[in-house]
Amino acid sequence: MKHLSWGLIFSFALSMPALAQEKATISGYVRDAANGEELIGVTVYIPSLQTGTNTNAYGFYSVSLPQGSYTLQFSYVGYKSISVDIELSGNVTRNISMESEATYIQEVVVEDEAIDANVVDVQMSRNTIDVNQVKKLPALFGEVDIIKNVQMMPGVITAGEGTSSFFVRGGSADQNLILIDEAPVYDPSHLFGLFSVFNADVIKDSELYKGGIPARFGGRLSSILEVRTKDGNNREFHGTGGIGSMASRIMLEGPIRKEKSSYIVSARRSYADVFLRAANEDNLVYFFDVNAKANWRHNNNNRFFVALYAGRDDFSFSDDAGFSWGNATATFRWNHLFNDRLFSNTSLIASNFDYALEVFDPAQGLKWTSNLQELSLKNDLSYYINPDNEITFGYHITGRRFSPGKIKPNTSGSIFTTVELQKLYALDHAFYVSNRQRIGDRLMVDYGVRLSIFQQIGRSDIYLYEDPKDNTHVVRTDTLHYGPWENIKTYVNVEPRVGVRYSLRPGQSLKFSYNRMVQNTHLIASGTVPVPFNTWNPSGYYLKPQIADQFAAGYFRNFRDNTLEFSVEAYYKSMRNVTDFADNAQLFFNHDLSTEFRQGDSESYGLEFLLTKTKGRLTGMAGYTWSKTTRHIEGVNLGREFYANYDRRNVINITAAYEHSERWTFGATFTYSTGRPITLPEGKYEFGNYNPDVITERNGYRLSDYHRLDLSATLRQKVRPNRKWRGEWVFSIFNVYNQQNPFTIYTRTKQDDDGNIIGDGTEKEARLVYLFPILPSVTYNFTF
Amino acid sequence: MKRSLILFISFLILVGFGSCEKEYILRTNPAEAKVVIEGLVTDKPGYHYIKLSRSTDFYSSGKTPRITDATVTVTDSDGVITEFVHNPNNDPDSMGYYKPVTPFIGVVGKSYKLFVLADGEEYEGEDTLYPVTTIDSLKYQINEDERADPEFPGRFYEVLIYTKEPQETRDYYLFNFYRNDSLTLNAPEDIYFTDDIALAEAINGITMPIFFSKGDKATVEAFSISREAFVFFNDLFNLINNDGGMYSPPPANCRNNLTNGALGFFRASAVTSMDIVVE
Repeated sequence: MKHLSWGLIFSFALSMPALAQEKATISGYVRDAANGEELIGVTVYIPSLQTGTNTNAYGFYSVSLPQGSYTLQFSYVGYKSISVDIELSGNVTRNISMESEATYIQEVVVEDEAIDANVVDVQMSRNTIDVNQVKKLPALFGEVDIIKNVQMMPGVITAGEGTSSFFVRGGSADQNLILIDEAPVYDPSHLFGLFSVFNADVIKDSELYKGGIPARFGGRLSSILEVRTKDGNNREFHGTGGIGSMASRIMLEGPIRKEKSSYIVSARRSYADVFLRAANEDNLVYFFDVNAKANWRHNNNNRFFVALYAGRDDFSFSDDAGFSWGNATATFRWNHLFNDRLFSNTSLIASNFDYALEVFDPAQGLKWTSNLQELSLKNDLSYYINPDNEITFGYHITGRRFSPGKIKPNTSGSIFTTVELQKLYALDHAFYVSNRQRIGDRLMVDYGVRLSIFQQIGRSDIYLYEDPKDNTHVVRTDTLHYGPWENIKTYVNVEPRVGVRYSLRPGQSLKFSYNRMVQNTHLIASGTVPVPFNTWNPSGYYLKPQIADQFAAGYFRNFRDNTLEFSVEAYYKSMRNVTDFADNAQLFFNHDLSTEFRQGDSESYGLEFLLTKTKGRLTGMAGYTWSKTTRHIEGVNLGREFYANYDRRNVINITAAYEHSERWTFGATFTYSTGRPITLPEGKYEFGNYNPDVITERNGYRLSDYHRLDLSATLRQKVRPNRKWRGEWVFSIFNVYNQQNPFTIYTRTKQDDDGNIIGDGTEKEARLVYLFPILPSVTYNFTF
Repeated sequence: MKRSLILFISFLILVGFGSCEKEYILRTNPAEAKVVIEGLVTDKPGYHYIKLSRSTDFYSSGKTPRITDATVTVTDSDGVITEFVHNPNNDPDSMGYYKPVTPFIGVVGKSYKLFVLADGEEYEGEDTLYPVTTIDSLKYQINEDERADPEFPGRFYEVLIYTKEPQETRDYYLFNFYRNDSLTLNAPEDIYFTDDIALAEAINGITMPIFFSKGDKATVEAFSISREAFVFFNDLFNLINNDGGMYSPPPANCRNNLTNGALGFFRASAVTSMDIVVE
């Protein structure tokens, strides 16, 4: 495989001199005319040659053609298409400005031709989350959250409302790589999942890759959520903000030097004490996040970016205990054009995720901390050979330091002493190369390979055990000592990635993809929904890399001049070494954590239907997914196959937005899914003062089906010609018909609401927990 | 301590966000009845018993079915066999309880094997008796927060325990707390047990989890338990406090030291106790 990839580069390099004589390159950046933001994924099409390309993540395009006259068509969702005539006799740089379409329709508008990317792109199993569309839809507590929208995509399953985790095509919650401007986010939730860390005001583009994952991504089995934030209006100063029932936010952007450099800053904070309905008013909770970014264009060949993100959640329970966690990331990026055809991006990324738990008590006071730090250097290059071949290749290296936990007494009289779990270190290298090649009129193929080399390194002490899987009688037989940077274990994996698109006729295509994904950073969590105090561990002496092979095939068709996009995709995913844990695993503060690991197989397959309407007064999507996910792991459920915690057989998601007039927009979302599996008792017994349940089967039962309707209405203030300030009111109702959707079921001794036992203490009851009743909210948003 | 903190937070996530609850009627397939063995031998007289019962339907009330006709013996690591007989005093509240026929006392350092023959099936279990540290003293004081808003009028005294935790050995403990000689839990789902990984030597004033009124007698009973027993109580705590597998792992049966699919645990412990009257 390694030999094959070098062979690809050499063969194209050899064919180049012949092309260079007759060809010339047109290249440049495509930007938003109003604010100068580079546009990602703009279609650049040359009708006379029936070929074209797309702008990359930095708005750059490059097309090499035989010298002559051409018309280039630039089109992009939400923008007016542009045609540009070019006389190509030598290399040309042409930067393009595109105007966005009106955000509201004043009268019936003659519609531009919509683009057919759904059918023409090789990429399948990818959903674009259009922030502008999401803003028209109802939101929980009025807070626009792209993760809630990700959860509505076909093939994506949620654990329930009020959570920020998502499960893609049979993958668990930690199998998604969430990137914000290339920096990984380890816990994307605020308030345990009620909101996500993404402030919708600063998002430029977000893409969810569920399958056919390009070679430039790796590190997780099931999905990549790539979020890119705006760079800041480099023409004039603007602000946006909102005051909601839960949190408020403000964003400011503007030029530093007009058209040369710009900044964007945003902050969001929740209100300290709105929330906890538990009778205790002394409980406080709040979160904040801050995004700051600056960029400057040195010249057309060099551009620099700096981006920072910091967010934190803080809980305090009376004066007794406190709990906080947060992410912080910093990215420095350099776009460089070697020549008109070779684009390079180099990024230096630092990321920190940490949590702290503190108990305030003179005798039992302690502080428990944990963190994960990461430093990466990434170099990604795109080589636009000709319209039929685009090569991307690159190299990523990441160093990670895991500090799983440290307990310290926080008073002198505390009964606790300092204990620390040893730190873990890892080095993660990846090389990739891929080519997107057009073959004839009907066939486009994207093929590539990613080579991942993962090393667990010292300093570390590895314990050897009499039985490495015995977590009751842990008997250490020896300890291996590794010094700093010394290699403990190396895992080399080759990940082939192939995508094929075959055009049946204009507006219809068939697509197929195969990818192998490898995951070397594992979340140590045995619940369905991760909580912030779960820790991550690297692959190493005991933990093997998780590996997934996914096949997907689909039929794509556009109707009505591309205003209706339809796709049906079938996938099959086979996973090895998925991380799971022994029953009753002790995952917190366990020096012998490896005795709890149980890695095994998982299998998922499904069928996804999606219909999207992108233009007109009424826009929206309807999706249906049928899927099944099971696990088979030795040491779990007595070695019998069981349903994954997030296996939901049928899922229906519908979203719709209707632009009624210049002032009113209405939005609706409806979701339905089969209930999730749950483990329920089949009896009880007596032990001491307790009545424990008898459990026979993991996930042997199901909660009842989940369904919910949300509605929203947005009222925009009249547009005053000379006033910069624009405001709008958003009214949202979550769970309109007050459906009591089960969140979980637990059992307890029969007792009243105050905890007093009813009866003689031998009776038990089951309790169903449901989260949100009907919830109205009002938000005021403004821009200036 | 850490475990209960984690569970406390998990439950707070669930309950704290304005979640609602209602009663739910389970309709699950009833499991086959399993034999449940609850056994204790200690280094002091009066504590030993083996209780045999069966598991039953989730919604049944009252005592679970008892096994009254089994053969029960305990053999120590020197080979001395003690027979246990069912309810020797014919006490109606002691159905299913087996007591030693001959005077019996456990010794620190020895291990004990249980053998049960019930309805033609054999069950065995083994545990070792580890030493327990002594309690130095008890002290009581008023808890001001509780006095401001007591759950029970007048009941706002707390009792503090002073002891030393041996640092050279890996120890595990189980506690019982009594108010006026009656075993009391703060909440029905509490189990009081700990390991000593994060404990310092000086335990100066750890509070009992229950409150007392003037005139109440407060008693603490501390048992040494084996690693296997610690694992069992940990699993039992997780099972009793489970949230249905949302944030915590899905409920599962407890790991124990019994063979042939029996539930429960056979425990050998050293015990020490101390009491104080709140005046």
